[in-house]
Amino acid sequence: MTSHGISIQLRMAVWDLSVSVEELGPEAPPLKISVTSDLHIGGVILKVVEKSRENKKDWSDHALWWEQKQQWLLKPSWTLDKCGIHADARLCLTPQHKPLRLVMPSGIVLRMKVCFSSSVFRTVMGICKLLNIRRPEELSLLWPVEEKKKKKDKDFGEEVYDITCAPLPSSTIPKLANGMPAFFAETPETEAVYKMLAVSQPAPAPETIAKLYRTINITEKAHINSRWLDSSRSLLQQGVKEFDKLLLRFKYYTFHDIMPQADVVRLTQLYEQARWAILLEEIECTEEEMMVFAALQYHIGKVSLTEQFVASCPAMEDLDSALQCLEVKMEGESSADDMLETMTAPELHDYLKIFRPKRLTLKGYKQYWFTFKDTTISYYKSKEESSKEPIQQMNLKGCEVAPDVSVAGQKFCIRLLIPGPEGMNEVYLRCEQEQQYSRWMAACRLASKGKTLADSSFSSEVQSIQSFLAMQKTTPSNNTAQTDESINTHSLVSPRYQKKYKPKQLTPRILEAYQNVAQLSLTDAIQKFLQIWQALPDFGLSYIVVRFKGCRKDEVLGIANNRLIRIDLSVGDVVKTWRYNTMRQWNVNWDIKQVAIEFDGNVNIAFSCVTADCKIVHEYIGGYIFMSTRSREQSDTLNEELFHKLTGGHEAL
Amino acid sequence: MDDIDAMFSDMLQEMDLLTQSLGAEAESAPLPKPPSIPDPQEMNFSIGFTDLNASLHDLEDNDLDALMADLVADISATEEKFSTERAPVAPIPSQPQSNFSLLASTDTPRPATSSNSIAAPPPPPASKPSKEELEEQMKADKIKLALEKLKEAKVKKLVVKVEIMDGSSKTLMVDERQTVRDVMDNLFEKTHCDCNVDWCVCETNPDLQTERGFEDHENLVEPLSTWTRDTENKVIFQERKDKYEVFRNPQIFYLWKKDKKSLKDMKDKDKEQLLEENFCGASVIVPDLEGVLYLKEDGKKSWKQRYFLLRASGLYYSPKGKTKASRDLVCLVQFDNVNVYYCKEYRMKYKAPTDHCFILKHPQIQKESQYIKFLCCDDEWTMTLWVTGIRIAKYGKQLYDNYKSAVRKAAGSATWANRTIQASSTASTPSPTPKAKTANGHAPQPTVETKGPGNQTSFPPPPPSMENLPPPPPDPMFPPPPPAPSSTTKVNKFPPPPQKPQSSFPPPPMDDLPPPPPPPEDAELPPDFLPPPPPSLTSCGGEALPPPPPPDPFASLPPPPSAPQNFASAGGAPPPPPPPPPPPPPAPAHKPNESVRKVAPPPPKRTTPQLTGPSGGDLMSELMTAMQKKRSHQ
Repeated sequence: MTSHGISIQLRMAVWDLSVSVEELGPEAPPLKISVTSDLHIGGVILKVVEKSRENKKDWSDHALWWEQKQQWLLKPSWTLDKCGIHADARLCLTPQHKPLRLVMPSGIVLRMKVCFSSSVFRTVMGICKLLNIRRPEELSLLWPVEEKKKKKDKDFGEEVYDITCAPLPSSTIPKLANGMPAFFAETPETEAVYKMLAVSQPAPAPETIAKLYRTINITEKAHINSRWLDSSRSLLQQGVKEFDKLLLRFKYYTFHDIMPQADVVRLTQLYEQARWAILLEEIECTEEEMMVFAALQYHIGKVSLTEQFVASCPAMEDLDSALQCLEVKMEGESSADDMLETMTAPELHDYLKIFRPKRLTLKGYKQYWFTFKDTTISYYKSKEESSKEPIQQMNLKGCEVAPDVSVAGQKFCIRLLIPGPEGMNEVYLRCEQEQQYSRWMAACRLASKGKTLADSSFSSEVQSIQSFLAMQKTTPSNNTAQTDESINTHSLVSPRYQKKYKPKQLTPRILEAYQNVAQLSLTDAIQKFLQIWQALPDFGLSYIVVRFKGCRKDEVLGIANNRLIRIDLSVGDVVKTWRYNTMRQWNVNWDIKQVAIEFDGNVNIAFSCVTADCKIVHEYIGGYIFMSTRSREQSDTLNEELFHKLTGGHEAL
Repeated sequence: MDDIDAMFSDMLQEMDLLTQSLGAEAESAPLPKPPSIPDPQEMNFSIGFTDLNASLHDLEDNDLDALMADLVADISATEEKFSTERAPVAPIPSQPQSNFSLLASTDTPRPATSSNSIAAPPPPPASKPSKEELEEQMKADKIKLALEKLKEAKVKKLVVKVEIMDGSSKTLMVDERQTVRDVMDNLFEKTHCDCNVDWCVCETNPDLQTERGFEDHENLVEPLSTWTRDTENKVIFQERKDKYEVFRNPQIFYLWKKDKKSLKDMKDKDKEQLLEENFCGASVIVPDLEGVLYLKEDGKKSWKQRYFLLRASGLYYSPKGKTKASRDLVCLVQFDNVNVYYCKEYRMKYKAPTDHCFILKHPQIQKESQYIKFLCCDDEWTMTLWVTGIRIAKYGKQLYDNYKSAVRKAAGSATWANRTIQASSTASTPSPTPKAKTANGHAPQPTVETKGPGNQTSFPPPPPSMENLPPPPPDPMFPPPPPAPSSTTKVNKFPPPPQKPQSSFPPPPMDDLPPPPPPPEDAELPPDFLPPPPPSLTSCGGEALPPPPPPDPFASLPPPPSAPQNFASAGGAPPPPPPPPPPPPPAPAHKPNESVRKVAPPPPKRTTPQLTGPSGGDLMSELMTAMQKKRSHQ
C-alpha cells in the first residue's frame, strides 16, 4: 500500500508532530502537538505558539523549517498533507530574519538581520534596500575564504557594526532623511555606520594588504567563483547559519545607470571593491596604471576627509564659481584700473637654478633670475637685468612636468620636457625650499595645460603639492594607515610594487600621475577610478575551470557581460571568444552537470564545470543576459521573475 | 574717481593709436594686406604660404573677396552697433579699429569696454520685479557673459590656406575658438562638395613625411600656431575613409581576431550593439590590439620586432623573455601628450621594413628627434588598425560624438534641398527662416566664425533646450525691448550696415514662430556688399547658419532666449527704430550658392567686442555689485 493510501485512510486520525521552537533553546525537547493531516501550516504555528506559552512575543516573523527536507513551509494555507509532512518530520519554528555578519566590499563588517527564508536574490534586495544601494541585482552573496591561519589572529577581534535593530526591510519603505535612509538618521551610532558605508575607507596599512594578498593564478581566481550562493534558494537552505559571515559583492560587472547623487553608497562600495581587486591583484594592470590608481586612491582618501556629500543646486554653484573666479582675478584690487591690470596674469619671480642636461657644459646648476608670466618662463642674468632681453624664454604650454624631489635630501627640482620643433628640450629647475618649489611647480603644471597663474586652481594646486610633499616626510617605517595628511605610499599599491620600490621611489611616480587628477572632485575621482578599472582588458571576467567535451585537459572559461572566452590554462592565452549576441540557446544537463551552448552558424560547445557548480555558470550567463535586458527608460521595477527564469535551476522548471 | 579718469585717458590714448593704425590699414585694406601684418608676439601668421608675399600671390580672387568681406563686415558691424548705442562718443572710431586688426590678435577692445562700463553704467533693469532666483540666475548669466566678453577680446585668428584634392586651394580665416568641425563646415560651403562624413582636414609635414587628420573637435589654430614660420607643412582638405571607418564597421576593429569573411556581412544590429558596448559604457573600450610591430630604436637606425599591446592607458610591449601578463609590460608611450601620424615612404627615408609606418610624437615636434616613436606594420590594414585604436584610446567617446554629429550634418545637407522646397511651398511663417539660413549658410567664413563661439560652449547663456526646433530663430541678438519675444524681431541683415540698428521691425510678438524675414534680401544685395553682421550675442543665429538646418540637436545651440533679453533690457535697448526697408519679397528661395556666397553674413564673433561696449557696462557694474553683495554677506 502506498503512503498516499495510508494518509487517506488515517485522514481524520490524530497524530503527534514534533516541533522545536528556536526560542526555547537547543537543549529544550521539541514540543509535541497533536495534529490531523488536514491541519494547515498556519494552524500548526498557532498550536505551537499556544503550547510554548509565550504568547506575548511577536511571532509574526516566524515560520516553520523542515529540517530533513531542508525547506521552508511558507504557505500557511497548505495542509500538512499537501506538504507531505508525516509524523516522522522534524519541524522547527524559527524567525525568518536572522542576524548575519555581512562583509561589505570596503571590508566593514555589519551585523544585520537578513531574510533566511526567501531566495538569496530577494534577500540581497532587502539588504540593498536597507543600505540604500540601488540595482541590487548586480550584487550577490558569497562565502568568505576559509581562514587557514588560526594562530593568533583571533585576538584581533574584528570590529563589527551592529545594525540588527534596523526595521525589517520588507516592512518599511526607506525614506530619506538627511540624504540617508531614515533608519540611519535615528541615532548617532547608526548615522556613523552609514557614513562608513558612504565614504571610502582610509588607505589600509601595507601589511594589511600583504596579509590578504596571495599570488593568485587563474585557477585560484576561478575558485573564488565557486563560493557564490545560489540566487534561487534561501540562505538556510544553503547551510548558512545565524551569525555566519558572508561577503556582499558586486557580482555582475555591468553597472547600470549610475547616478552619483543617488548612488553614494553604491559608488563608494563599488570603488572599494575595485580598489581591493587592484591592490590584491585580482585584476592585473600595468605599472603605469597602478600609479594612476594609486594617485586616485590618494586623492580620494584625501578628499573624503574633507568633502562630505553636500547637495547643492547647480545654478548656485555656477554663480559661485563665476564669482570666485572673478574674485581670484581681482583679489586685492581696489581700483578699476588695477582691476584691468590683473586681468593679465600675475607673475612669479625669484632666483632659481637651471640645468640643461643636453648641453655639454659642466654638469651643474647655474643661478639666474627667473620670471614666470602667463605660461612662459624667462630668465635673466640677475634681477637688475630683468628689464632687458631675457637670456631665454620658454613657453611651457604643452610641456611635460615631472617632479624630481627628495625632501630628506632637500632637493626640489622640476623636470621640464618642453616641446619644440626639433624635439623635446629637457630642463631642470632647482628651487631652494618647499614653499618656492610648490609655487613654481604649480605654475609649471598649470602652464603645461595652457592655464596661467591667474587660474583659480593655482592655490589649490600649490596646496596639493605641499600636502604631497608632506607624504615624503613621514617615515616609511611606521606602517600606519592613512591619517590626516600623511600617508605611506606603500598602502596605495599592490605588494608587488611594495617590494619593487621603496616609498621614496614610489612617491615621485605617484606624484607624477597625481598631477592629472589633483583637481577632481570626490565623485569625479571615484568615477575616474572606476572608468580606468573598467577599461582594463581583463575587467569583468569571471573565471571558471571547465572541461570541454572531448578535451582531456582542463581549460578556463571566462564569463563577461557580453561574451564567453575560452582560455588556455597553462599559457593564459585567449583561445576563442563567443559573444552572447550570437548565442541561440544554452542548456544545462543537471544530471551529468554539463552546460551546452549553441551559437549562430551551428557552433555547439559543451563543457562540464570543474571548480564550480554548473548552476553558478548557468546563473552567470543567465544573469548577464538578464542585465542586458534592462533599459534606461525602465523605471525602478526589477523583473524578478525574468531573472529567475533565466537563472533558475531545474527545480524552477 | 581718479582711477577712472586715469583709465579713461589711457583708453583714449589707446584709441588714438588705433585710429592711426586704422588709417594705415585702410589704405592697404583693398589689398589683402591684413594677413601680412603679423603681430610678432602673437604668432599670427598665415599658414600654408611659404612666405607672406607669396601668400598674397597665392590668394585667389575669391579668397581675397572673402577675406575682405570678413574684414569689412567687422567694421560695418561695429559701426552699426555703435551708432545704435548711446555709448560714449569717443570709443566709436576706435572700435572698428580693434576689430579690424584681427590678424594681429586683438586685445584692444578690452579697455574700451571697461571704460564704457564705468563711464556710463546703465543701471540694471530692475523694472520687472522678478523672483530672487531669477535675478540670481540673470546675474550669473551676466557674469558669465561679461567674462566671456573679456575672453573675446583676446581671440587669435589665422589665415589658413587649405589645399583641396583637385589641386586648388581655399584660403580662410580661422579663429582660435573654431573647431575643425567649424572649419570643415566653412569649407563645405566654399567647395560645394558633398558633406559626407569622410571629409577631413589634414596636416602634412614634408620633413617627417607624415600626415594626420585633425579630429573634428580639435582646435585648428592651436596646432597650426606652433608650426615654425618657415614651415612647409600644409593643411589639406580631403576624404579619408579611415576617419570614421570604426563606426561604420566596428567589427573589423573590435573583432579583428575573427576571420574576415564572417565579419563582412555583419548585421547592422550587431554593429550597433558593438558600438553600444564599446563606446556607450562608463568607459570606452579600446580594441584589444596586439601583435608584432617593428619599433625603431631610439636614435638608432635599426628596427626591432616587438610584441605590442594596446591598452587604454597607452601603448605597451612585452620585453624579451617575458610573458604578456600586464605586470610585465613595458610602456612605450602614453597618449596624453602625443598624436599619431601616418607616414609615407619610410622604407626609403628610414630603412623601415615596410612603408606602412606610423609615428607618435608631441604635436610641436616638427623634425626628426629622439622623442618620436617610430613604428612599422606589416601591411596597411594593420597600420589602420593600430592608428585607429590609438585614436580611440586617446580621444575616447569624443570620437564617437564627432562621428554622430558629422552624420547628422551630412544627413542634414543631403535632405536640405527637399526641405527648402517644402518650406517655400508652405508659405507659412516658419518657412522663410530656413531660407534665411541658406543664405547665411552659404556665406563663407562668417558662418564658421559664428559657430565658433557657439560650439565652444563658452557662450554665456545656457541654450534653452529647444533642441529639435529646426529653424533656430534668426539672430535675436539685439533683441528689441524685452517683452517682445526676441525671436520675432528680424534683426540682422540690413543692407545699410551703419545706420540701421539691429532690431528693425519689431513685429507683433508672435509666439515662438521664427521670424518671417525673407532671407533672400541677401541675395539681392550686390555681391560684394556685406550686410552688417548679425550681432554676435546670439551665437545661435550663426550656428544655425552654416549648412541648412540639419537640426542637430546637440551641437547647435539654439539661441538663448533669456540672455538676449536681459541684455537688451540692461543696455536700455533703444526703442525699435523705424522699420527698416521691408525685406524684399521672398526671392527665389535658393539662389545658386555662387551669388549668395559673397554675401557673407558677418562673423558674429568679431562683433562681440562691440557688444562688450554697450552691455559690458551693465554687466561689469552688475558684476561688481554682485561681488560686493557677496563679500558683504561673508
